[in-house]
Amino acid sequence: MTATTAPEAALGVLPRADGSAKYSHAGYIVTASVNGPIEAQRRDEHPYEAHVDVIVRPAAGVGGTRERHLESILQSSLAQIILVRNFPRSLIQIVLQVEHSPENDYVNTKLVQANLNFAIMPALFQTAVLALLSAGVPMKATATATAVALSHQDGSKRTIVDPSPREVETAQSVHVLAFTSHDELLLAESEGDFTVKEWDDVYETASKVCCQSALQKEGIAMVLDDEDAGGPAMRHFLRSTMESKVAADLHWK
Amino acid sequence: MTTSGLSFTRPVFAKLSPHPYLLRNLSPSSPDARPARTNGRAPQEARPIHINASSLSHAHGSALVRTGDTTVICGVRGEILPVERIPQYRPLDTRKRNQDGGEGEMGAAVGRGELKDYDLLVPNIELATGSAPQFLPGVPPTPLAQTLSTRVYSLLHATGLVEAADLRIWYDPSKAKKEEGEDTNMEEGEEEEREEGDDERVVAYWVLYIDLLFVSFDGNPFDAAWAAVVAALRDTRLPVARWDPDREMVVCSRTERRKLNLRGLPVACSAVVFMEKEQGEVGTAAGEGRHWILLDPDRLEESLCREMITMVVDCSEGDTRIKNIEKQGGAVLGRELIRGYAGVAEGRWKQVREAMK
Repeated sequence: MTATTAPEAALGVLPRADGSAKYSHAGYIVTASVNGPIEAQRRDEHPYEAHVDVIVRPAAGVGGTRERHLESILQSSLAQIILVRNFPRSLIQIVLQVEHSPENDYVNTKLVQANLNFAIMPALFQTAVLALLSAGVPMKATATATAVALSHQDGSKRTIVDPSPREVETAQSVHVLAFTSHDELLLAESEGDFTVKEWDDVYETASKVCCQSALQKEGIAMVLDDEDAGGPAMRHFLRSTMESKVAADLHWK
Repeated sequence: MTTSGLSFTRPVFAKLSPHPYLLRNLSPSSPDARPARTNGRAPQEARPIHINASSLSHAHGSALVRTGDTTVICGVRGEILPVERIPQYRPLDTRKRNQDGGEGEMGAAVGRGELKDYDLLVPNIELATGSAPQFLPGVPPTPLAQTLSTRVYSLLHATGLVEAADLRIWYDPSKAKKEEGEDTNMEEGEEEEREEGDDERVVAYWVLYIDLLFVSFDGNPFDAAWAAVVAALRDTRLPVARWDPDREMVVCSRTERRKLNLRGLPVACSAVVFMEKEQGEVGTAAGEGRHWILLDPDRLEESLCREMITMVVDCSEGDTRIKNIEKQGGAVLGRELIRGYAGVAEGRWKQVREAMK
């Protein structure tokens, strides 16, 4: 069992970038830098909107096809929440460096893996959102993401939030869902073997993790004694991180 | 005289302002006109799929898949990989194999590990120059090609389509000796020999190189590519191979060929969401305005839509099992729409199954 601690984040860790964030959760540590709006290369230039460029660098080795796929997923989702129309003909560049990823002790670790890594997606997504907030890029909504795995063990179904690599491997199905702050489903990636009903349950769990603000959570905790929190309330986490950053920045006043 | 010179033909309109052009087609101003896409299809109408298997003579299996103007050809070629060439090779536990005949729930999990650890499935996708105007000659593989091959690779492993048992090449020393016609007193010694580790063992694996080439590209590449992969693997016949201990190499039979046992029939079904208002237009909140879900989009529609969904379903065991959902680039498709989309995907599954026959 790898670290199932609460997520941690630090904003503005890189002095030269417009915005940056370091985020660690479920064994993953990711640092992101955001630069933008800056001048776009001519081939990327769009006459009406900003080009969002996402670069993912793995913990070891150079990026392969898997990183290209992650980039395309993140790019299409982040371009939705950034107000790209505000900056025509420019570029917003997001660089995500994976610093540490949990290892699966049961298999030989290969440097180059083409398989899509589901567990890393929420960490990358969350770091990118935090870095965008730190850079002050105008966005129409923030977003939160989580990974959920369903596994069948001894005939009973188990829902695991933020699964470890081993759990991902043995799970029946793995899902990554991201929600905007308006409770809309922004991203849904699933793999494995499941039914519509099971997906629905996963949606329920994920929306609980992603969309619960602090107030609601307290209310539920009081009434239902919090049967199983399942995972950290991501939206609350995002908010409190920003609040503490702002408080620290305005300390001199 | 003033306006007569300003009448354009449909292709010119499509080129000049594609978004209003598609919008007007989907919501015609006169009530008697049927709302349709620019390609004449209804919003949830897919292009018919044509599959032609065994079209390549030098591959072990191949298929040509055509949906509308998207044509993709897939060739599967098996190569032999001796186990001594595999770094960090872990011999299979033969007892486990005998217990569940190789195919229990455990056997499947072990097999999947082998496929992944030894890279026994190698898909690659090439978008041929000239298949669509955006693909230029002499450039490295585009992000689209790389994304597609990752998706095919992930799905191949996640669905467990190919069974590792089909790719193992076994050598049984005791059987080989019997065939040579050893004396009867060998039978007594057999027990001892087994203890020496002369067990039946895997000597080599087949590696399947799955190469896809887009001959022409008109949107919805993943569905076509995945259908081609499945059709080509169904068509694959690998020669029966055995280990020749004298020459110390794997020899293939010239005449005997064996089919692969594929697990199920997963079918991909993609759609895009077309928004009435272009993204970021002033006063547009997400989810505002009308939207259409366009099944099996062509190149024009793909260029105008940001949100896309791909669902891979398998109904071959009666009930519908979802193998993969990929939804990104927008917030229109929520819980209800995705649930409803499973029904659309089922319909597509039936069409593709008919085409595969």
